[in-house]
Amino acid sequence: MSRGQKLVVLTVLTFIALCIVGAQFSGHNGDAAGTQTGTISDYQTATNPPDVQPGTDVPLSQAGINQLANEAGHLRISVNFTWLLMTGYLVLFMQVGFALLVTGLTRAKNAGHMMMMNIASFAIALIAYFAVGFAFHFGGVAPVANLGGLGPLSGIFPHGNAGLIGTHGFFLQSGHGYDVGVLAMFLFQVVFMETAGYIIIGAIAERISFAGFILAEVAMGAVIYPIYGNWVWGGGFLAHIGQSMHLGHGAVDFAGSGVVHGTGGWAALALAVILGPRVGKFNKDGTPNAFPGHNLGYVVVGTLVLVFGWMGFNPGSTFGATDLRISVVAVNTLLSGCFGTVTAMAWTNAKWGKPDISMTCNGMLAGLVAVTAPCAFIAPWAACIIGIVAGFLVCYGVWFFDHVAHVDDPCGAISVHGVCGMWGVLSVGIFADGTYGDKWNGVNGTVKGLLYGDVGQLGAQVVHAVVGMAWAFGITYLIFKVAGRFMQLRVSESAELEGLDFSEFGSVCYPDFVVVTTSGSGHAPGHSVADARPIEPALMTRPGTVAGTEPDGSAV
Amino acid sequence: MRLVTAVVKPFKLDAVKEALQAYDVHGMTVSEVRGFGRQRGHTEVYRGAEYTVDFVPKVRIEVVTEDADAESVAEVIVAAARTDRIGDGKVWITPVDALIRVRTGERGSDAL
Repeated sequence: MSRGQKLVVLTVLTFIALCIVGAQFSGHNGDAAGTQTGTISDYQTATNPPDVQPGTDVPLSQAGINQLANEAGHLRISVNFTWLLMTGYLVLFMQVGFALLVTGLTRAKNAGHMMMMNIASFAIALIAYFAVGFAFHFGGVAPVANLGGLGPLSGIFPHGNAGLIGTHGFFLQSGHGYDVGVLAMFLFQVVFMETAGYIIIGAIAERISFAGFILAEVAMGAVIYPIYGNWVWGGGFLAHIGQSMHLGHGAVDFAGSGVVHGTGGWAALALAVILGPRVGKFNKDGTPNAFPGHNLGYVVVGTLVLVFGWMGFNPGSTFGATDLRISVVAVNTLLSGCFGTVTAMAWTNAKWGKPDISMTCNGMLAGLVAVTAPCAFIAPWAACIIGIVAGFLVCYGVWFFDHVAHVDDPCGAISVHGVCGMWGVLSVGIFADGTYGDKWNGVNGTVKGLLYGDVGQLGAQVVHAVVGMAWAFGITYLIFKVAGRFMQLRVSESAELEGLDFSEFGSVCYPDFVVVTTSGSGHAPGHSVADARPIEPALMTRPGTVAGTEPDGSAV
Repeated sequence: MRLVTAVVKPFKLDAVKEALQAYDVHGMTVSEVRGFGRQRGHTEVYRGAEYTVDFVPKVRIEVVTEDADAESVAEVIVAAARTDRIGDGKVWITPVDALIRVRTGERGSDAL
């Protein structure tokens, strides 16, 4: 028999066998429809009340009803824990997206350095947040009803409307912090902190020393992010300006346009200013040169991974699947992201004649960042408008920091997360439509923006945006100005030209290829890439492919 | 013995290869190279900043031939690689002092 005949015989025999199985066993099912699984018998199996025969009735007594209520309460919190942890895992996956995004947007000679920063930031910032950051952030957040109250997290300094810093939960132990609710909260919040921690990588890429980078991550996990987070999310004073100053519901930031993205973006600005631009980025007259990213495929895949993770970032911020607003949150998030994408595509096409791939990806992220604060409080039409505005803002932002401010931000982190984060915070105060958020921050009534009659809410959002920017930029600038006196924050110029992979880590990301740097249009005199030696001999693993090859008299 | 070296547009590699095979050339060496001639590089915009691609990707083809065949081989390559657009490349012929087949040690025309 040939192989083809054998295959035919095998297929026929399999077919006959499956038919026999079907004929023999049909009608002998378990609970195939799923209607008999999860009934009173499961309730009794789980709780086993003493005065009831298993599988019959729940007793009509106070004890029986209490049993039932206990079971319902446990189920509610279990569903919420599952939701919180699963969405937390989605947010964790965003780290993958960001690693691909920022590595793709930078040059091949620094690809290992970019990836190393992403893995190192994860571990270092997590440890800092575990030790002190979480306690500073959420040490006084109780009560959180969706997670069973979080009773142990009841310490904040000072008390009342002026809270500045949490005091329970250091090392997840102090103040009775060893608690299932507290640790579930920790998992969800630490991955949010990681987001702020890796946002800065986009702006410090291709020049920061590894020691300087580690300091940045420790500062982000222990101080910069948690303390501002406390003010808005942890029961601090910005959450209370609704009560203390009658500004709407106080600072409202559903999933962190300001707390997470704004903090990351403005800290990134401070770091980019202190580090200065990459060698050859700006000409003497201030015009920028382009350093094209080495893998736009990474950029697109990374962006799509981030979109996927955002489906945990925003809907997870309800802290529970029992809050059915999650569907609105998720759809608003996607709408804004897609409108941001299309806007950036159209804008770059109109301005430069072709839609720019990496700016289109930045447009997607801009829409997502902006809708992160308002996503739970707005109607779908408003999400679309927020996305469109964010798409414009990110394009203008990248242009502004390149052509006007002359701040070198290789991946657009400041524009995407800082500028669009600020827009997201303000948009709550404009578009919140009063369908959600009753008793938010302890203020009665739902959250309404300017268009729905509450000017005070916009005022609170302005305070949130301004204080957030001042804190993140100010404290980061201060820390690194001081640190710069004692340590080298930036690699040497020769290391930068050679590529940080080799100088910082002793191994290159792409050892099998000749890494050739595309120069900027740096023909201006002075400090330009054209003057720089493109590659060190150590990296020339396959020499002889770069030389000029069209000898038409003009020497190369 | 002559070495015919051609630098042509990458997408013309297949056309050149087929033309040379039709001419009964037994072997060739191909490498990816970059360079510019009279067309210079070209300018693109990336995230709003302009940059110039100074060295345009090309393919270099090398063929060793008998003295008498060199001109014809060059003509075949030129005909196959031409698009009449700027940046089509160059072909040049250089003398070869010696030629040795590594496997057998044959020399000269026997090694072709």
